[in-house]
Amino acid sequence: MSEPRRFRPAMAWLHTWAGLVVGWVLFAVFVTGTASYYKDDISRWMRPELSESQADPVLAATRAGEYLAGQMPEAGGWFVKLPKAEEPVTEVYWWKSFAGPFHHALLDPVTGLPSKARDTRGGDFLYRFHFELGLPSLWGRWIVGACAMVLLIALISGIVTHRRIFADFFTFRPDRSRQRAWLDAHNLVGVLALPFHLMITYTGLATLGLMLMPWGAQTAYRGQVPLFYEEAGLMTQSRPPAGRREPGLPLGEFVRKAERTAGEPPEGLLIASPGDAASTVNAVFEEPHGLAHLHPQIAYDALTGAEWARNGTPGGATRTATVMYGLHEAHFAAPALRILFFLCGAMGAATVASGLVLWTVARTPKGAAPAGLGLRLVRILNIGTIAGLPAGIGAFFLANRLLPLALTHRAEWEVGAFFGAWILVALVGALTPRRRAWPASLGLAAATFLAIVPADLILVGEARFVAFDMAMLAAATLLILAARTATKPPAALTRRPSPQVAQA
Amino acid sequence: MSAAGLAVCVALAFAGLSALALSLDRHHRAALRGPVPKARIAPLRGAGWAGLALSLYAAVALAGWNFGLVQALGAVTAAALAVAVCLTYRPGWLRPAAVAALPIAAAFLPFALAAQ
Repeated sequence: MSEPRRFRPAMAWLHTWAGLVVGWVLFAVFVTGTASYYKDDISRWMRPELSESQADPVLAATRAGEYLAGQMPEAGGWFVKLPKAEEPVTEVYWWKSFAGPFHHALLDPVTGLPSKARDTRGGDFLYRFHFELGLPSLWGRWIVGACAMVLLIALISGIVTHRRIFADFFTFRPDRSRQRAWLDAHNLVGVLALPFHLMITYTGLATLGLMLMPWGAQTAYRGQVPLFYEEAGLMTQSRPPAGRREPGLPLGEFVRKAERTAGEPPEGLLIASPGDAASTVNAVFEEPHGLAHLHPQIAYDALTGAEWARNGTPGGATRTATVMYGLHEAHFAAPALRILFFLCGAMGAATVASGLVLWTVARTPKGAAPAGLGLRLVRILNIGTIAGLPAGIGAFFLANRLLPLALTHRAEWEVGAFFGAWILVALVGALTPRRRAWPASLGLAAATFLAIVPADLILVGEARFVAFDMAMLAAATLLILAARTATKPPAALTRRPSPQVAQA
Repeated sequence: MSAAGLAVCVALAFAGLSALALSLDRHHRAALRGPVPKARIAPLRGAGWAGLALSLYAAVALAGWNFGLVQALGAVTAAALAVAVCLTYRPGWLRPAAVAALPIAAAFLPFALAAQ
């Protein structure tokens, strides 16, 4: 056989198996990552106690400094994220060393005491899950990074495998054989959003790039990786602690100075070795308008308040990297464009899900032959992931409304609800007879989303959350439609079996 | 770019992609009964690519190259999904919808220019 004739089947094999082994992780990454386009909206919904109001960033910074000095006076560093109109809360982090652990608290901007908002991880949980999977951070990132690499392979081998990209560009034939319908669906959502799929996979890998391949920077800077960030213009110069204790100015001073210099209040303050005589305070500004993800910084001497350093102008390579970061996060996207990013992300999740289902449909034995162990395993994992993960997200939101506000470790209980519901629905899917497994588990997932709306209306019931509740109803509707489709007997779907079905 | 600008791009891309879809036998059969007449293929394709080019031009003119390219790709993706859904479930609506998309794009254009 000539080479070209062997190339496509080889790519089809690669696409099938590469896609299968990472599919379950990728589905979770796509769904939670897509939800992260609305991370801030989710956080606002999950902390209904924080109503919109104007907070004074100068006072908030000073109060946060007092709180942090009480928590860990000899810290390696503090970070203060200042309140904004749409998020009137001060967020503080403190740590002994960069190796962690990182402590975190939300403060009332006026009193500087822990915020009265309910204890929750908010949208940040879904956001972090999409690249850490709820695992210890480095483990999760390595797994997601490896899966993203395989996804890139699956995307490219998928493009090679697909023989009729343009002829079948708009084609979806749900009335044909089950296999044909699933292949059409997989091709459709895969091809139509292909620019997005390639962009999000590649830029996702790029954001993890320095973690996946740290050796270049480590070698060139002889292990002093922070120097690399300084030279790239991403961070300001840093200096070692002096070892003498000397109190610095109140943090509010630096907000005032930064606002005078830059014309806008900073997004946050990063304090290196607080309380030390050589401590510095970095005012970190919001991204300037553009595709690139950049955070300009001005560093001040913590004792005198004199400007000490600024980050340099990033060069071409850094700009390229930050544009990739920016494209991945899409912070620049206004509401209308954000909807399109969300739609593309949902199509990414649909591509993975339809690919996983297609794998089982293409291998279902004809007639009464029993399904093999591998096929049954993939089926169970498919249901457990594709119905289980949405159920987990629904339960996470539902727990936010239903759990008692005074519960200790409340935020962990919410995360527990996420994994608990996921495991429960996966078990239901695994133990229910095959004919009813999909409808039962998808129905359960739909029920969690349906329950969110009355729970929110009764327990909180604020007009500003209408859009969120509508989104929950839309998610429930989609899941009900999916459950109904799965209830249809296969006979209704196989009226006209197609004579020849491409393998892919 | 404003929501109005995005609406202009999506509408133009929808019209263009519909014309391209109708230049294919399978979709022409579904939308208008019968295969596409030979003489109509080239004009449909020309109109289709022109619609896509206009959509790209509008995006870049309204938002510059950096944001414009991102928005043009997003608009084409959304429009293509709409064409595919329409062809699957309401094929008869494709041609009227594509024709209606042009005045819709024109109607949003002043708002898009005003929002600049």
